[in-house]
Amino acid sequence: MRRIVSINLAVLAGVFVAIAAQAQDKVPLQTQLPKPLFVGTPVPLNVPNLEPPMKGKRPDFYVPAGTVNLAKNKKITASDNSPVVGTLDLVNDGDKAGDEGSWVELGPGKQWVQIDLAKTANIYAILVWHFHSQARVYRDVVVQVSDDATFKSGVTTIFNNDFKNDLSLGAGKDLNYVETYQGKLIDAKGVKGRYVRLYSNGNTTNKLNDYIEVEVWGKPAA
Amino acid sequence: MHTDEAVNAYIVGQLLAGESFTYDPQDRHGPALAALALPLARVEGARAFSDLTESGVRLTSVLAGTITILLFGAAVEMFGFAPCLIAAGLFAIASLPVYYDRYFIHESLFGAATFGLILSACHAWGKNSVGLASLTAACAAIMLACKETAILHFLALAVAVFVFWFWNLRRRSIGWIRPRVVLTAAAAFVFLSVILFTWFGQDWKALAALLHAVPNFAMRAAGEGHQKPIGYYAQLLTNSWSGRMLCALACIGIFQIVRKRDSSTYGFLAYYFLFLAAIYSLIPYKTPWLALNFWLPISLFAALAVESLWRMSKRYLPLRAAIPAFSILAALAVVLIVHDTRQRVFVHAADETNPYAYAHTSEDLLGLPMEISELARRNSIASPRIVVIASDPWPLPWYLRHFAQVGFWQPGQPMGEADFYITSTEAAEQYKDRLHNFRPDFFGVRPGVLILLWLPAPK
Repeated sequence: MRRIVSINLAVLAGVFVAIAAQAQDKVPLQTQLPKPLFVGTPVPLNVPNLEPPMKGKRPDFYVPAGTVNLAKNKKITASDNSPVVGTLDLVNDGDKAGDEGSWVELGPGKQWVQIDLAKTANIYAILVWHFHSQARVYRDVVVQVSDDATFKSGVTTIFNNDFKNDLSLGAGKDLNYVETYQGKLIDAKGVKGRYVRLYSNGNTTNKLNDYIEVEVWGKPAA
Repeated sequence: MHTDEAVNAYIVGQLLAGESFTYDPQDRHGPALAALALPLARVEGARAFSDLTESGVRLTSVLAGTITILLFGAAVEMFGFAPCLIAAGLFAIASLPVYYDRYFIHESLFGAATFGLILSACHAWGKNSVGLASLTAACAAIMLACKETAILHFLALAVAVFVFWFWNLRRRSIGWIRPRVVLTAAAAFVFLSVILFTWFGQDWKALAALLHAVPNFAMRAAGEGHQKPIGYYAQLLTNSWSGRMLCALACIGIFQIVRKRDSSTYGFLAYYFLFLAAIYSLIPYKTPWLALNFWLPISLFAALAVESLWRMSKRYLPLRAAIPAFSILAALAVVLIVHDTRQRVFVHAADETNPYAYAHTSEDLLGLPMEISELARRNSIASPRIVVIASDPWPLPWYLRHFAQVGFWQPGQPMGEADFYITSTEAAEQYKDRLHNFRPDFFGVRPGVLILLWLPAPK
């Protein structure tokens, strides 16, 4: 009996040690936030099926130590090769300011941008800033990760708020959100992949698709 | 449709339904626009608010803008043939007048009445004509029944007349207008104003309301969210290449007039423009469509400058060189103006980067009635019940006018069951129990203003 208790205690201690080790291995994701540009349209609080707005700064999001922004200055492709405003390199140039000249604007309707991370990586978080100089909601935001540049196979969808399936990628269950200077943080849960594709389908001001910055936080896969 | 256009269209809808116009300075301007739009809507076949169309109601403003252009034909005697032709052309193709002369707001009609007043008053003065004085009074009454700010124009006109007489005409012998003509004009102005504001004798309370309009608009002049810097109109008029070119020409024209102490109507118009520009610039409340009031003098001054430049080029260049050089410059100017007009009026008409599209309704809102129709069709709902909860629902009454069962509630008010709910972002939280099984879809009302359409949540 005493032996069984001792074994149980040893297992429990082992679990605690493992959790503690894992916790020590995680660090808060550190990203530079741009200057806020609008106070914000009143957004309902505590309403079913609607993402509550952030009060103040976003709570820390933990990622494994050594996680970096893999997207910076990597190759960008898009469904629209002749953007209405700006150039594709603005998507990952590190400038998150919401002023004119900071964003690329893709044509009307369904569009995507794709980031080639150059190597397969474990992705823990994606941060996206579409536009933050006024309250806007971008429609049908879908984020996918794959090792296939054409996204025909091995596709993992990590965020999808296209609840009406307008993009024909499957109906999503994630919630709509109002863009802010803090960007949208998507938990990628360590998904493996080389390419990240972000879809949108216009916004609440016009039919165009804007990207100020996209960050892909991860570590190159072993 | 801009929110103000939607409100004006709703008023026309009320008149089509047999209601009379009730003047309330807190809620609306005078009845002149509605009085003109109502017969036009009937001619177009509209019998109810839901029959009205965007192009149908905007036809009223287009008609008023066309009248302004045609009035240049009656101004040839005063301003000369070539300047009138050029100014009419500028009104017809320049971006600012083309943009606002098709907005279903009061400015287009107000501008036409102002031009009519100046022309008929000048003729009445010259000819001592009772008929022309009555026409002047009619134009003044229309101005007042368009917008109460007509008072500012009357003030600017009166000061301009005095300064023009004192500075330009004092040493010349001029004929004075007879008291009988002045009295006839005053009587006609009062009579027509009463007729219009009381909606042809149906609402006598309007006269008391009109007196209250003065303190009300004095308060609004402080800004009410529309306050802008003193140089706003100058910036608006010069924020395109064609605008800068036309304003530069207008400055040349004004300089010529003031320097020469011009005793023609141009002299009077220059003072009127300067006083009006000062008044509008000093008032903190500013909206871009008010700049249309400056366009009549600006177009004439620019046209006068073009005529002077043509004369100068004839003097210093041989005619065979002057004609092609001037033609090329004129063609380039027209191309520039047309390009800017195309961009602002047609390509980016509702774009928030367009300085004329002020708090304009977002294109996105056009999708809201379509989405309701589509979902109603999919769910076999013949006549969807729509509940709108927002402290300021405009311009939704216009966009939902084709649905037979639409109700509007203020936040906090109890409302009935509905197939679709539309709430402002502030109001949604108060109805969370009712909306529990609904999923919100955001729509943009204006830049930075969102509204929520609540759809049955997917299972």
